[in-house]
Amino acid sequence: MAAIEVAGLTKDYGTVLANDDLTFEVAEGEVFGYLGPNGAGKTTTIRTLMGFQSPTGGSATVLGHDVADESELIAAKHRVGFLPSNPSFDEQVTGREILDLHGSIKGDERRAELLSVFDPPLDRKIRAYSTGNVQKLGLVQAFMHDPDLVVMDEPTSGLDPLMQRKFNEFVDAEKDDGMTVFLSSHVLSEVRRVCDRVGVLREGRLVTTERIEALLDRTGKFVRVRVAGDVGPDAFAVDGVHDVVCSTTDGGEAGDSDGPVTECTFTFTGDVNDLVTRLGEHRLVDLDVEEAPLEEVFMRFYGETDA
Amino acid sequence: MLEIARFEGRHRVRGTALVSVALGGFSLLYVVLFPTFAESLGTDIDELLAAYPEALQKAFGIQTLTSMEGFLASELYTFFWMLILGLYFAYSAAALVAADVERERMDMLLSLPVSRARVVLEKFASLFVPLLALNVVVPTVVYAGTVAVDYPVDPVALFVLHALSVPYLLTFAGVGLVASVVFDRASLAQRASLGLLTGLFFAESLLTDTDYEVVGVVSPSRYLDPNAVLIDGEYAIVDAAVLTVAAVVLVALAVVLFRRKDIE
Repeated sequence: MAAIEVAGLTKDYGTVLANDDLTFEVAEGEVFGYLGPNGAGKTTTIRTLMGFQSPTGGSATVLGHDVADESELIAAKHRVGFLPSNPSFDEQVTGREILDLHGSIKGDERRAELLSVFDPPLDRKIRAYSTGNVQKLGLVQAFMHDPDLVVMDEPTSGLDPLMQRKFNEFVDAEKDDGMTVFLSSHVLSEVRRVCDRVGVLREGRLVTTERIEALLDRTGKFVRVRVAGDVGPDAFAVDGVHDVVCSTTDGGEAGDSDGPVTECTFTFTGDVNDLVTRLGEHRLVDLDVEEAPLEEVFMRFYGETDA
Repeated sequence: MLEIARFEGRHRVRGTALVSVALGGFSLLYVVLFPTFAESLGTDIDELLAAYPEALQKAFGIQTLTSMEGFLASELYTFFWMLILGLYFAYSAAALVAADVERERMDMLLSLPVSRARVVLEKFASLFVPLLALNVVVPTVVYAGTVAVDYPVDPVALFVLHALSVPYLLTFAGVGLVASVVFDRASLAQRASLGLLTGLFFAESLLTDTDYEVVGVVSPSRYLDPNAVLIDGEYAIVDAAVLTVAAVVLVALAVVLFRRKDIE
């Protein structure tokens, strides 16, 4: 049985078709990244899976339970943890009271263990919490009843780099224990380390679901290189180089330079060794290689499918 | 069960204490003032009142101000208890669901394995904290006060008046609760329910003996008369039953609407 099964799921708000005939499955024990730019409809799917709203078409099951049936949904929620994109708690109460409430309804056997990893100031009122602390409290409540499935909407967005690493390690460990994780993000690099598989959503439609390695191979790198001399785009004619843009500064006016410098940017999806060999033929002033942003990937691979 | 009600109820304790002190103090002030008021003006006050438009007298439930019972029935119970406290309950109820939806806290609550009906009912149940507290504090203060100033009121009538006001206040709260599930913003739900209830409160009295008298039938204030209870000892059980049914129907309506609602 799949942990999540979505079949033809559609949510039409009248003015916006937020989810258009989505079909995918998340296997048990899998960490599934639900990717897409802001406004693609990721949150709409999550809200439907959690039963906060009803689909206008299609169906979905969570841990085998139909989300359109309230009693089934409640049965599923005993085993589901949830972290919304902006976790929001009653401002007047302390973190401890929030956890007590959640614990009294869904259980809290892992509370102490989680609080040693994520440590929000429990005796302070939520009003005085920083965004990071609210996120930590959200994470603790999402995992504290030892759920089989955790659904998280943009879990890494409020975290500083240190916490993000902690989060990645934590999710990795949970995955090893067999937990299924469904998380959304609009930043591929933030979730690539933890995901087994990703679904890419664009304007309400699922454009692909694939293994993370396959996607990363296709997404390629964003390269910015500055080389000495006046060279044209042809200098980087290697398989896998796309969209080369070059500009040359003559650099001679200050009098102390070594002549013109050319700056080129391109996306690279080929073998990195070929690129290094070719770059080696030039005298480099500077080289920047980074993961292509998800938006670039969308434009490259999925842009043309957009009518 | 009742975890949500307990959680919400606990956070009403402080507000309830404040309102109890305020309303208890107010009640005591009225009670203590009455002897001076009655002895200085005597029966003249009712003659003075006769000069007022009847609708106004009716709106504020003024029947007689020469007795402690009549004075309390109009000044304390009709105005403060039925109008102000009624609106307080509607206002509180109007925030129960809408405020959580507005502040995106509802997602967190609904991620728990609880039914939507349970969320609405338990939140509504938390209003019993102020409801019970005020119905203990105020009659106790009023009775003790009237005994102390030597104008004792009938404790049974006083008890009955408070008992009959429970379904009345719950009806006001019910209107607020329905508004709370209809609107996604607490302020909107509060304005809508307060506007409607204030309108109905005055419509009931001002429209009496006019062609629009029928409007008063749906006003909760038609079904509770502190004068009849305190002065005449008439206990309108049927009216209380009407209010009870109204409150139940309103809460049920709120549950039905909330179960079908898309939380956005």
